[in-house]
Amino acid sequence: MSANQQDLDPDSTTDMEVVIDTEEELIKECEEIWKDMEKCQNKLSLIGTETLTNSNAQLSLLIMQMKCLTAELSQWQKETPEITPLTEDVLITLGQEENYQWMPEVMFQKLRHDLEMVLSTIQSKNEKSKKDLSREQQWLDEQQQILESLNVLHSELKNQVVTFSESRIFNELKAKILSVQEFKEKLLVSLGEFLEDHFPLPDGNVKKKQKNIQQSTVQLITLHEMIMILINRMFDVPHDPYVKISDSFWPPYIELLLRNGIALRHPEDPTRIRLEAFHQ
Amino acid sequence: MSVLRPVDKLPELNRATVLLVGAEDALLQQLADSMLKEHCASELRVHLAKSLPLPSSVIRPRIDLIVFVINLHSKYSLQNVEESLHHVDASFFLGKVCFLTTGAGRESHCSIHRNTVANLAHTYRSPLLFCDLEVEDFRATMAQRLVRMLQICAGHVPGVSALNLLSLLRSSESPLLEEP
Repeated sequence: MSANQQDLDPDSTTDMEVVIDTEEELIKECEEIWKDMEKCQNKLSLIGTETLTNSNAQLSLLIMQMKCLTAELSQWQKETPEITPLTEDVLITLGQEENYQWMPEVMFQKLRHDLEMVLSTIQSKNEKSKKDLSREQQWLDEQQQILESLNVLHSELKNQVVTFSESRIFNELKAKILSVQEFKEKLLVSLGEFLEDHFPLPDGNVKKKQKNIQQSTVQLITLHEMIMILINRMFDVPHDPYVKISDSFWPPYIELLLRNGIALRHPEDPTRIRLEAFHQ
Repeated sequence: MSVLRPVDKLPELNRATVLLVGAEDALLQQLADSMLKEHCASELRVHLAKSLPLPSSVIRPRIDLIVFVINLHSKYSLQNVEESLHHVDASFFLGKVCFLTTGAGRESHCSIHRNTVANLAHTYRSPLLFCDLEVEDFRATMAQRLVRMLQICAGHVPGVSALNLLSLLRSSESPLLEEP
């Protein structure tokens, strides 16, 4: 009868990192098991050999198999399975052995370890997320503050610019117009004075030969007035700046204006003159 | 004439020894190499033999598993195995013997019928495996299977004995091969 020694194989893996007493305990157990094995071995060597032939093989083997299976079954039923105390260190070491992957203790150990790792990872991620969140929140608040103050500034400036510029431009233009008008007045006044001084109207020098000459009793106008008529006509009716020469114009003065290029005759009508367009 | 016995010596720690018996050296060598390449927690030892009995001058460890390799292309290899079977102790056949057949892929070259080998395996109540040892991938897969079987036969897998494995394998083989 061959007893199955396989079930009692010593699991004396050498690189176990366990507490000293566990190690010593395990070594002691291993020694005991080895002694049992040696005893069995001695018993076995006393049993003789038996070879088979093709004819008797089947029957004898079947009988042998039946006996051995029965023996194995009774062995399993007798033995209590757990010899080693399953401390955490033992479980960690067993977890690395491929043969023990089926044990629920080993699997739970692995599961616990994995879950712990997952937990710590998630916790650290959580911390990081919280920090990020608070930082972003702070930044958001600052940005909002900036936005608000900018909005206020913007609305203020908008109002100012609108109202300010309108009235300002208006006032500026007004002032400009006034000053230009003043200047114009000044110029005209000084022109008038100059003309009065240097180009006076003839006095009553028409004493002699009054009967012969048919002089009109029309009142002569001053050179100033003549020039004013020409200027006004120029700006009132730009497309027809011609003025008919009337008797109130003193002819020498007309000649003066014409010869100096200040006035021009109408190209077709000699009785009409206009002011030279100095401004164009 | 020495007979191979399964428990003639005490086992060595963490060691598993397999004996490959077959007439074709090249095939055995290739199979041995593939088995040694396998990743395994136990230390593997592979012994090769053309036939049994083994010379008693050599000191060898306890053998955990015997694999008889039969080539379907050669009648001689079957004869060789049949003769070697007589030098094996009966208690080996409780799960520690296995028949491996090669060459079934090339039907035209087969001189032995599949059924012959199947009957042989059935007579000796041992598992029969088919594999084309010349193809590297098949050989690697078979080597993996053999290594696992060896580990169980050497007792390195707690809770499973060679006899248990035998019972498990037996249920997958059909009893259709029995001649009435």
